Amino acid sequence: MTMNELRKTFHHELDDVRAELVHLAAFVTEAIPRATNILLTGDLEGADYIISGDDEIDARALDLEDRCVQILALQAPVAGDLRQILAAIRMIAEVERSADLVCNICKAARRIYGHQLDPSLRGIITRMGEQAQQLYIAAIEAFVENDAAKAAAIDDMDNFLDALQKQFVQAIFESHSAGNIDLQVAVQLAVVARFYERIGDHAVNIGERVRYVVTGWMPEHKGAARYRAGTDDTGRTVRPPMADESDATSADGSRDSADHDHDHDHGSV
Amino acid sequence: MTILWLLVGVVVGALLAAVWFRRAATRLETPVVDTESDGRRRNEQLELQSARIQSALDALPIGVIVADADAKIVVRNRASDDAGGNTHSEVLVQAAVQHHLRAAVRGEERSQTVELYGPPRRLVIVHAKPLGANGAVATIEDITERSRVDSVRTDFVANISHELKTPIGALAVLAETLIDESDPSVISRLAGKTVNEAHRVAKIIDDLLELSRIELSGELVLAPCNVASLVAEASSRNSYAAEQRKVEVQVCEIPKDLVLSADHVQLASALGNLVDNAVKYSEVGGRVTLAAFPENDGVTFVVTDSGIGIPTHDLDRIFERFYRVDRARARGTGGTGLGLSIVRHVTSNHGGAVTVESREGEGSTFRLHIPDRPAPVSPEDIKPHETSHAR
Repeated sequence: MTMNELRKTFHHELDDVRAELVHLAAFVTEAIPRATNILLTGDLEGADYIISGDDEIDARALDLEDRCVQILALQAPVAGDLRQILAAIRMIAEVERSADLVCNICKAARRIYGHQLDPSLRGIITRMGEQAQQLYIAAIEAFVENDAAKAAAIDDMDNFLDALQKQFVQAIFESHSAGNIDLQVAVQLAVVARFYERIGDHAVNIGERVRYVVTGWMPEHKGAARYRAGTDDTGRTVRPPMADESDATSADGSRDSADHDHDHDHGSV
Repeated sequence: MTILWLLVGVVVGALLAAVWFRRAATRLETPVVDTESDGRRRNEQLELQSARIQSALDALPIGVIVADADAKIVVRNRASDDAGGNTHSEVLVQAAVQHHLRAAVRGEERSQTVELYGPPRRLVIVHAKPLGANGAVATIEDITERSRVDSVRTDFVANISHELKTPIGALAVLAETLIDESDPSVISRLAGKTVNEAHRVAKIIDDLLELSRIELSGELVLAPCNVASLVAEASSRNSYAAEQRKVEVQVCEIPKDLVLSADHVQLASALGNLVDNAVKYSEVGGRVTLAAFPENDGVTFVVTDSGIGIPTHDLDRIFERFYRVDRARARGTGGTGLGLSIVRHVTSNHGGAVTVESREGEGSTFRLHIPDRPAPVSPEDIKPHETSHAR
């Protein structure tokens, strides 16, 4: 096999990996509104369908990871190609974990089956579902189009989902205080909110990996540079810089641009 | 002399040979030229035919994908490129197509209904058929609308029988109980319930008759209607119910001279139903806002409430006859399930549009746009200082 043929095979394999990854992410994107509907309508059959489908996602994710490892071992890619494969391996894990979270929402739907939820709670659940799906749609599109700008926007979109989660927790308290839902349902709902919020975080992570593939840079680099320099986010020195890392720090620091001026913050309860 | 004849013979021979060679060459060349032009013509015809077939495929409303014996896609039409409606749905549909094409080239005929939550929510059928040694063909058909119409038809029969049978069944049971009852207080209570159920049946029949009238009325009775009066009428018609539920109905300022050419009775009925709905589904102490303003050569009426809202998956269906978002709640509110259907028909009769935005727990906003149409004015109605409608 000539070098040209080898390259052609490699790029063909890379395209296949990308296509399969998009396919897996599309599964998750499709499953998010399904899970929301299952939760709101108490659709037990639908819940079983999603939960049983998770094994297929797991199997496909493992196969895909194996293919990535094979490409690494056999083709020894470098530069952008290497970043693509490394990012794909990380993204597979994000997608697979997101699928698990969708299943968890369906399991919660089974646990709260038969309990009536206030319209305000139902409304916020709908919004969280829509926003989590929007994040995933943006992540897929950014990946397909290799669009670093779109990938960077996912982080801002996630802030809205985090705010919704906080609003939902407040609504749970109110509904529980009014005696409309019991403690068990309240706890389940709080956990559901966390699941949506985590799905959003995984979409943000995919976005960050897209940025890494396109630019070689991720928001975490900035925090790492600060740590090595021994400074806080205002630039004040808080401890001695790490040995032999000062050069790297200045190099990384000089790459910070206006759109990288804040770190990604995974929201939490 | 002999040498001369020999020379002549050689020259003639050479000439003859040249002529023969030329003819032979011409004979050889002519078919080559013909084959080339034929080939070109054949290619052009093939290209033309191929373009014609591709155009015909592109004109089809269903997606068509042809694969060769290795399941590699060789032809696809335009409809097959946008079968999903968005990136992730498209990926899932194309994956299903590839999966079934691979099976079809092995000789298996496959079919799958792919339900996509979108948005937009869609239902597509992917069908793959073997083409023998030539590969396979797959089709993608969007059956969203067909499926919706089917479910509307099925649900309608179930809903109408439920809505009509429930109060009639209750009346029968109440009447049977009354026959054997001798306690005056119980009789009074049961009689009260009987009256309520009878009123309920009467209301359903009234609404059904109104809906039939609106559906069957051929020509609208168009006349200039004062928009502020229409809105005030809709508000006052529901003032008692609003008072009972402690819901505040607020009418935004509407220009006094805003006039719309419409069927007054129908439009008042539609607006009344929208306000009735808004009041019914508002929480106690809530607020309903009514507004109207000129927009796009017509008037847009907006009814906003801060009520319980409508689940997203029901939004497409609330204008169907007897459709209920939540049956248990609907019984409590006393509606007939025909109000929004009346609104839709009135809007349709006027060539307008009705839209709804809603979120559970946050309330709903209905927008009713009625285009302004000049009322047909008979010659004897025309007075020197009057116009058919004014703003």
